[in-house]
Amino acid sequence: MELYLYIALFAPLVGSLYASLFSRSPKSQHVGIVASGLLFTSFVSSAILLSYVMGGHTVHTEMMTWIAAGDLYIPFGFVVDQVSVVMMMVVTIVSTVVHVYSIGYMDHDKGFNRFFAWLSAFVFSMMVLVMSDNFAGLFIGWEGVGLCSWGLIGFWYHKESATWAANEAFIMNRIADLGMLIGIFLIYWNTGSLQYDVVFAEVGNLQIVVVTWIGIFLFIGAMGKSAQFPLHTWLADAMEGPTPVSALIHAATMVTAGVYLVVRANPIYDLIPNVGIFIASLGAFVALFAASMALVNRDMKRIIAYSTLSQLGYMFVAAGLGAYWVALFHLMAHAFFKALLFLGAGNVMHAMHDELDPFKMGGLRKVMKGTFIMMTLASVALAGIYPFAGFFSKDLILEVGFVEHHYVIYTVLLVTAGLTAFYSFRLVALIFHGEERYKLFGIHPHEAYKFMLVAMSPLLVLAMIAGAFKMTYFQLVMNLLPATQYHIHSQTTFWIMTIGTQLFVIAAILFAYKKYANSGVSVPDGTSKMENSFVYKLLWNQYYIPKIYDEVFSKPYAELSRIAWKQIDLKIVDATVDAIANGIYKTGENTRHIQNGNLSSMLRWMVVGLVVLMTLAVAFSVGYNVVGA
Amino acid sequence: MEITLTHYLVLSSILFAIGLIGVMRRKNLLMLFFATEILLNATNVAFAAISHYIGDLSGQMFAFFIIAVAASEVAIGLGLLIVWYKRTGKIDLDQMNSMRG
Amino acid sequence: MIDHILTLLIFFPALAAMLGFVVANNSMRAYGIAVAFIEFALSLWLWYAYDPMVSGMQFMESAPLIAAFGINYLLGVDGISLFIIILSTFFTLIGIASLTETRRIKNLIITLLFLEMTMVGVFAALDAIVFYVFWELSLVPMLYIIGAWGGPLRIYASVKFFLYTFTGSLIMLVGMLFMAYFYYQATGQWSFSILEWYRLILPENFQLWLFAAFFFGFAIKVPMFPFHTWLPYAHGQAPTIGSVILAAILLKMGTYAFVRFSLPLFPDASVFFMFPIAIIAIIMIIYTAMVAYAQEDIKQVVAYSSVSHMGVIILGTFALNVEGVSGSVFLMLAHGVVSGALFLLVGVIYDRRHTKLMSEFGGLASVMPRYATIFGIMMMASVGLPLTINFVGEFLSLLGFYKQSHMLTLTAGVAIIVGAIYMLAAYKKMFFGTVTNDANRHLKDVNRTELIGLIPLVIVAIWLGVYPKPVLEPINNSVESVIQLMHDKAQSAEAKARIPDLSGKNGITTMQEAH
Repeated sequence: MELYLYIALFAPLVGSLYASLFSRSPKSQHVGIVASGLLFTSFVSSAILLSYVMGGHTVHTEMMTWIAAGDLYIPFGFVVDQVSVVMMMVVTIVSTVVHVYSIGYMDHDKGFNRFFAWLSAFVFSMMVLVMSDNFAGLFIGWEGVGLCSWGLIGFWYHKESATWAANEAFIMNRIADLGMLIGIFLIYWNTGSLQYDVVFAEVGNLQIVVVTWIGIFLFIGAMGKSAQFPLHTWLADAMEGPTPVSALIHAATMVTAGVYLVVRANPIYDLIPNVGIFIASLGAFVALFAASMALVNRDMKRIIAYSTLSQLGYMFVAAGLGAYWVALFHLMAHAFFKALLFLGAGNVMHAMHDELDPFKMGGLRKVMKGTFIMMTLASVALAGIYPFAGFFSKDLILEVGFVEHHYVIYTVLLVTAGLTAFYSFRLVALIFHGEERYKLFGIHPHEAYKFMLVAMSPLLVLAMIAGAFKMTYFQLVMNLLPATQYHIHSQTTFWIMTIGTQLFVIAAILFAYKKYANSGVSVPDGTSKMENSFVYKLLWNQYYIPKIYDEVFSKPYAELSRIAWKQIDLKIVDATVDAIANGIYKTGENTRHIQNGNLSSMLRWMVVGLVVLMTLAVAFSVGYNVVGA
Repeated sequence: MEITLTHYLVLSSILFAIGLIGVMRRKNLLMLFFATEILLNATNVAFAAISHYIGDLSGQMFAFFIIAVAASEVAIGLGLLIVWYKRTGKIDLDQMNSMRG
Repeated sequence: MIDHILTLLIFFPALAAMLGFVVANNSMRAYGIAVAFIEFALSLWLWYAYDPMVSGMQFMESAPLIAAFGINYLLGVDGISLFIIILSTFFTLIGIASLTETRRIKNLIITLLFLEMTMVGVFAALDAIVFYVFWELSLVPMLYIIGAWGGPLRIYASVKFFLYTFTGSLIMLVGMLFMAYFYYQATGQWSFSILEWYRLILPENFQLWLFAAFFFGFAIKVPMFPFHTWLPYAHGQAPTIGSVILAAILLKMGTYAFVRFSLPLFPDASVFFMFPIAIIAIIMIIYTAMVAYAQEDIKQVVAYSSVSHMGVIILGTFALNVEGVSGSVFLMLAHGVVSGALFLLVGVIYDRRHTKLMSEFGGLASVMPRYATIFGIMMMASVGLPLTINFVGEFLSLLGFYKQSHMLTLTAGVAIIVGAIYMLAAYKKMFFGTVTNDANRHLKDVNRTELIGLIPLVIVAIWLGVYPKPVLEPINNSVESVIQLMHDKAQSAEAKARIPDLSGKNGITTMQEAH
């Protein structure tokens, strides 16, 4: 089984290296095909491992030593257990689809080969992240995905906005990584190891305050990767990258790494329910917060990005409340339908020549039937309509909130569910229904390549039927995660809640259709009453948070740096050194007149020196005699 | 009045002071040599007197040494002075500043 | 021959340099490469013959120089110095092989070979006077390199470099002499052997004064804030090869000397000064990173980033535990490789455009993709990405210091954020965007000569990031013996508590046993 483990892990790396060999030559189809093929191999290996793990075994292997110093011992160790195998399946399925899709999507791009090098490298990092058996290995993957995200967001590096967004994402993640690093240090100095099994066995013996700090710092790390408030701004800006990247990295896999971390570290978080409550509250807040921004946004990809953010909030609610398996389940379901949604958006973008404003589209269902169906179904799944994947996972989170008696969180999530349905279908309605507004802009849309649609179809199927695997999945992960079943005790309450939620969501969908699918929709020009209302402006400007960050952090930092250089370093530190040197130099300059070459004045100095020395001699001998006596 | 060591030393000091002032004030190189001789002889007086007073001959021996050294110094010094005079026509100290720093 | 390998390593380049005067001008390059290669091969042989499981000194050589004062020609290597010696020979080889300088190349290569002698000498010396002699001698070739091949302000920069570091080392010399005098007082014999000094347990107030005296010499060399201002000038004016050697090796003398002298000689003082020095290190890390961010000149960015990284090394050194000190020694190597490579890269673009201002560039990624890739890899290594060489060192250094102080490490950890900020900003300014300056439109990508220097560095940066064990293990063993020695010598209760006791562990020979 170790062989399959290594194949699953290293096939993407091989693909990446292969692609990077050609990164400087013009587009070559075989790069995409080889990379995708290797990804598929990785997927098959993961599937084999899945069946093996389902048989009740786990694979744990140590490849070699990485860092050994003092008592610290970090190997390259990999583990395939119930949790990581689920992640592996999600990662490999979505990335295989995205790879194949990208062959079509990046068809006309100059950086075709380079794109695959980065994309496969990302998958490798992600696999390292989920398969490592220790926190340091996790951190390797953690930083690796950050690097690849940087490279892929800034893929079109000639665009200022893209490179800016890439740097923003990297730096924001670094802020969180510091938290994670500190968490790792704490773990090491308190348990003496970074291996999951040792740490989790040991963590119960620690003082609760230490465990709390570990939990907090690890979660800070998770906040950055999963773009939780207040480190969320990078995710929306990251949409500057190519759309397959958004689908793979910023929807399905990398951003869920934070959730994975909390799930993986469940023995730690189980000990500190207070931190868990905080995580859940923050998650609920982010869910609502992000959904509200999605309501008014006019950038197709950003809307989906906010929706991702919102769904990550849901996952953290579940993880924070101790329902780790629910969080992981939603992670999985979400990966499928969100990636599908993004890939659909990619098709639309291609058709519309990179136009992102859905108000400028409309009526596309006639030309893009396949995409229309897929995006609609993905949105249905996202909204959580029975029997699609979202229903099983999202409703479960609502139930968790209810059963655990966190009614505020429950209410917030319920409202968010309505908002989610509304903005998802606002998007669908604006893109595919109503009048063909794109004609005003002289665009001639066309459907994507057929093989791209075929590539997307596995995701479509999974988005529809993933809910059916719920019990199988539960049986699988309960070996590792707390197997709490969340049942509402009263049957009546259960049915009222379920049906109520469904009706609420459907109402939101219908409202969205009514408002945006008719022929009266026009491109907003900033004059309507709604666009000038305070709330709209607040949401449109993302609560002014990017501006605040810019004013409070970026600009002062740049200014402070300039001051540090020009004022402190040059004018104080260096000037002091120069002043000392100049002082010595000036003394020499001033005293060199003594050496004027004139014999008589030199003789005079000689006499002065003699007198001084004799005075000193007398003074010292007198002083010595006085003290000596 | 008996002449004591103090008298000799006072004489020596006065001579030394005269010599010192001469060394500092004189601008003429020849006069400088005279002043130097006075300085050296001031010490000679002190050496001889102290030597006699404590009954140790080495002081007087030193005085002879100094006389010899002074003589040779004057011989070399006067030689240089003459060369200098031939070259520049002056023996003014203020003019000799080619070693200016 | 293996018994005298250290002498050979030190004096072979010097002899070759002498012979170099009679070599014809046009074959000088080949001669230089050949000599540097033989020297590098010798240092690899040293590594091969080195027994990684022994923590004490190996290949020791001793010959009396001034017997009356106990000054001996005493050499030896342990895990701490071994790799810095290899790094020195490696960089001399790379520096000469990828030399693009054309003016007075003969003199330059001879100077470099002399410099190599002094560098190897510093790291192999075990006698304080021999150490001091090489330490000071290393200034001379560097002074010449900056002063003769430098930029417009080269005289100012080279004099500043020389006088500044020289002042520091004089204070250090006073400390050394006093240390020897103290040894004489204690034992009735003169000795300048560091190993003999190790056995001495000094009263705490003596330790504080001596520590301070040594500190000045080392701190200026490192350079530590606020003694760092000679560095930007030196780097700014030095030719590429000068900057490379300066950043990669010469700065390491300071940090190496901390590990070799300050820690084992003055354990109590090290603990006493731990927090003040850590605070200086943190200022170095954050403040210079900010200054680097404000720079307009790419070479200054790299220069200030050096200071920032040296802060992490200092922090790791004063963690006073095996993790931290091993990490800091490893980071010395890592920083050498990475900053050396970055300076080489800056040299590449300077050769083409004769400017280092970032505002002159932009969009280079599309003109010089290979260059951009290598620069990107090295930038990411500098930022400390896992699986690159820097990460191992930084991780261990910070991890080590975390044992001593949570808050300070948290503050120092900001290094990974601010480091990313200035590096990414600089990279963006140079490589991203569209080509706006016409002069950049037809720049040639890195050529073969340049690749000879860069490719090995890239390989090392990744190899030691993925598999640091061959280097880290000997370092670790030697550091363990240093830490154990410190623990044994420590007198104050605080020092005993702060410096871990490793005697319970198996397989460690302490310094005393090794002799």
